[in-house]
Amino acid sequence: MAKTRDRTEDFKDAVHTSAVSSGYTESKLAPVMASFIMRKPTQRLPFTKASLKTLESINELEHFIVRHQKDYLNLHRTTEQERDNIEHEVSVFVKASKEQIDILKNRIYDEEKHENATRWLPILSDGSHADEVAHKHGVVLILSERLHSVTSKFDQLRSIRIQDAINRATPRRKKHSFPTTKSQEVLKSDFTEPEGLELSSGPIRVQNQLLDDETLALQVELTSLLDAVQETETKMVEMSALNHLMSTHVLQQAQQIELLYEQVSFS
Amino acid sequence: MALNLRQKQTSCIIRMLNLNHQPNAGGATTGAGSSTEEVYKILVLDRFCRDILSPLIHVKDLRKHGITLYFVIDKERQTVPDVPAIYFVQPTTVNIGRIVADTARGLYESFHLNFSSSLPRPLLEELAAGALKADAVGRISKVYDQYLEFVTLEENLFSLAQRDIYVQLNDPSAGDQEIEGILEKIAGGLFCVLVTLGVVPVIRCASGGPAQMVAAALDTRLREHLVKKNNLFSESGTLVSSFQRPILCLFDRNFELAVGLQHDWSYRSLVHDVFDMKLNRVSVQGDKSPVKSYELDDSDPFWVSNCWSPFEKIALEIDAQLNKYKQDVEEVNRRTGGQKGAEFDGTDLIGNTKHLMNAVNSLPELTERKKLIDKHTNLATVLLGEIKNRALDSFCNLESEMSSKGSVDKNQLISQLKDKGTKEDKLRLAITYLLSVETTPQSELESIEAALRESDVDTCAFQYVKKIKSLNLSLNSSVASASKSNIVDWAEKLYGQSLSAVTAGMKNLLSGARQLALTRIVEALMEGKPNPEVDSYLLYDPRAPKSGTGAQLKGPFKEGIVFMIGGGNYIEYRSLMELAQRSQPTKHIMYGTTEILNGVDFVRQLQVLGQKMGLGSSSINPSQ
Repeated sequence: MAKTRDRTEDFKDAVHTSAVSSGYTESKLAPVMASFIMRKPTQRLPFTKASLKTLESINELEHFIVRHQKDYLNLHRTTEQERDNIEHEVSVFVKASKEQIDILKNRIYDEEKHENATRWLPILSDGSHADEVAHKHGVVLILSERLHSVTSKFDQLRSIRIQDAINRATPRRKKHSFPTTKSQEVLKSDFTEPEGLELSSGPIRVQNQLLDDETLALQVELTSLLDAVQETETKMVEMSALNHLMSTHVLQQAQQIELLYEQVSFS
Repeated sequence: MALNLRQKQTSCIIRMLNLNHQPNAGGATTGAGSSTEEVYKILVLDRFCRDILSPLIHVKDLRKHGITLYFVIDKERQTVPDVPAIYFVQPTTVNIGRIVADTARGLYESFHLNFSSSLPRPLLEELAAGALKADAVGRISKVYDQYLEFVTLEENLFSLAQRDIYVQLNDPSAGDQEIEGILEKIAGGLFCVLVTLGVVPVIRCASGGPAQMVAAALDTRLREHLVKKNNLFSESGTLVSSFQRPILCLFDRNFELAVGLQHDWSYRSLVHDVFDMKLNRVSVQGDKSPVKSYELDDSDPFWVSNCWSPFEKIALEIDAQLNKYKQDVEEVNRRTGGQKGAEFDGTDLIGNTKHLMNAVNSLPELTERKKLIDKHTNLATVLLGEIKNRALDSFCNLESEMSSKGSVDKNQLISQLKDKGTKEDKLRLAITYLLSVETTPQSELESIEAALRESDVDTCAFQYVKKIKSLNLSLNSSVASASKSNIVDWAEKLYGQSLSAVTAGMKNLLSGARQLALTRIVEALMEGKPNPEVDSYLLYDPRAPKSGTGAQLKGPFKEGIVFMIGGGNYIEYRSLMELAQRSQPTKHIMYGTTEILNGVDFVRQLQVLGQKMGLGSSSINPSQ
């Protein structure tokens, strides 16, 4: 996209010409021209180093999510357990990044307080560090926005998973209503059978009857337990859906409040 | 190759914000092309460049590219260590001085200088000398010429943001050198637009006047540029056939003066007129509420679909949108049992959750819609108030009657001049009358001037236009006969007065873009067929050899750029957009101007000119 023109070479030439015409000697000229090629290595402030590291870790988080996205979404590639593991790892990562960002933010306030504390002379240039502080806040804001965009992407994946779970849960409840009626019929047919064997020995018949009663009772119990478990499962799915829903929005609100606070504190 | 100026300018700016590194195609979102060392940057702008960025990028988008803070270069700034700074400024002496001062103070770790147009040699040397003296040469990392010195308001609308060009060009006391300077600046701005688009068009203009001079200057500049090996157009390839190169039509404001003054009835023109819309923003003062600022651009779907509608339709549209919104909210409430007395069906909890999820997801969209509806309701209400106070509807009707029929009921005109309306409104009506009616008997003029003076209106502008008209300069190309449609003529011939009155009245009501002279000429130029109106137009082709033996590319052209020197407006913009759409096959037309003026601003420029010529009353009355 050669829509711009790099004038740096022209600038260098102009500097050279200007230096020569102002009577710069060779010894003076050399370092000037050298400074073009070799930039003075500046010592990075610890704040900047820390913020760059945080950015790197957020990038890694994003790569991780992208790498496992297919596994996570495809129903048949991974088990529920593995998906839970992925979620857990992501949340740990997110927490760690969030902590790093909070540390950076606290450091800004600490440094500011430190500045104010060490200045026992009246402040000569009022707010001489305001720009620097604003820049640091900007860095923190960029980091948290970056983290937020990565997490929202992951939230979308999670919502797909939850939708799938809900969809799977709903038909099962409908399917479930049939087996109960079937079992009733089977039981009835079972009853007819023992009647046919009444001619056989009495005590065996009573024992059989008892066993059958027990089996019946167990069956009823199991079905009712199954019902209860099903219901609990649906409720759990629902709760996690609601939880997921609320959490994204609470997070958004929290960020908005943060933004408003910063705007107010800088106005 | 659809020319989308806004997109191209935005991508150039984004690249600049990423320190001019090549964008990583399909890379990670962090743009791993740039080293991770220079991620957080500070942006320093001057006012002009801030106006360039404002319609294109929002502050939060700046953060996406790693810009933590942005400053105006004039303001007092403090040291921010450890951070590279991107400067995006115009190449002026003042800016160079400030940059040198900043580097001397070592405000930032490194300086990436981007100039909105080419940095001239003397200024470059000044920069070098200053940096050398301050021993700050090492801090300046890069110097770039960006060629972005224009403001893109929409995909097909741009402005050079050069103020008062009409006054400067028509000023009787202006010297040759001054005028040349102005024309060079205009050519420079156009050059930036062409570089950003990456095209070398065929230039056409009427002979004589500023348009020809700008065309010649631009042609020279393009030729000089194309001769160099690695020029900025080299990658457009060899687009020889006229079907691939666009046409650039240059016009001067004097070509069709009336359009610059008229009251128009479409939503957009009314907003521009009444609220003085600048850079797609308006500030509205409600009755009791504080001043609110709104943005009106492509991101507002209501604006996009309704900006050309006549005002009466707007109210209906807003109503319809509001009803739809209320319906949607009702449904959401119903589904999630948000109303009192809703019974929770225990067995259908999962269904409820699903509805709840959908509802919550649709909430942000609903809030956005509500905000839009509120915004336009507010605008329309205030507009309605102004229209009533200033009787803008009668001004509109009178003016469009005058321009389409070429004559008007005198009594109506005089009574309107004495009636409601601001001083500018009346002036504009009077001048439109002057320009649309062919013959103006002295008695009528006197009665008009008397009516104006009664309303305490400064008649400088009126006198100025009268003088120009009497000098018979090529003012009024919208000759009455050409602008009347054939139907009206035919109707008159066959059915007499009554039907023609009805059809003419209907035309006023429907009020689509009238056939402006500008549109007519542009259509003829783009078609490329022999046409008496445009055959006399000059042709400049920067790619053709100077000897002029090559075949002249006269058309047809698929794409066109129309540029108005001296001030353009939305009426012309709309007319050109409609031309583009109704052409078979659809053409693509872009409209640009030195600055977008509403009728009030333009009539003020005419007033200044009238005063400079010493006409009219000497009281400089800054009327409302």
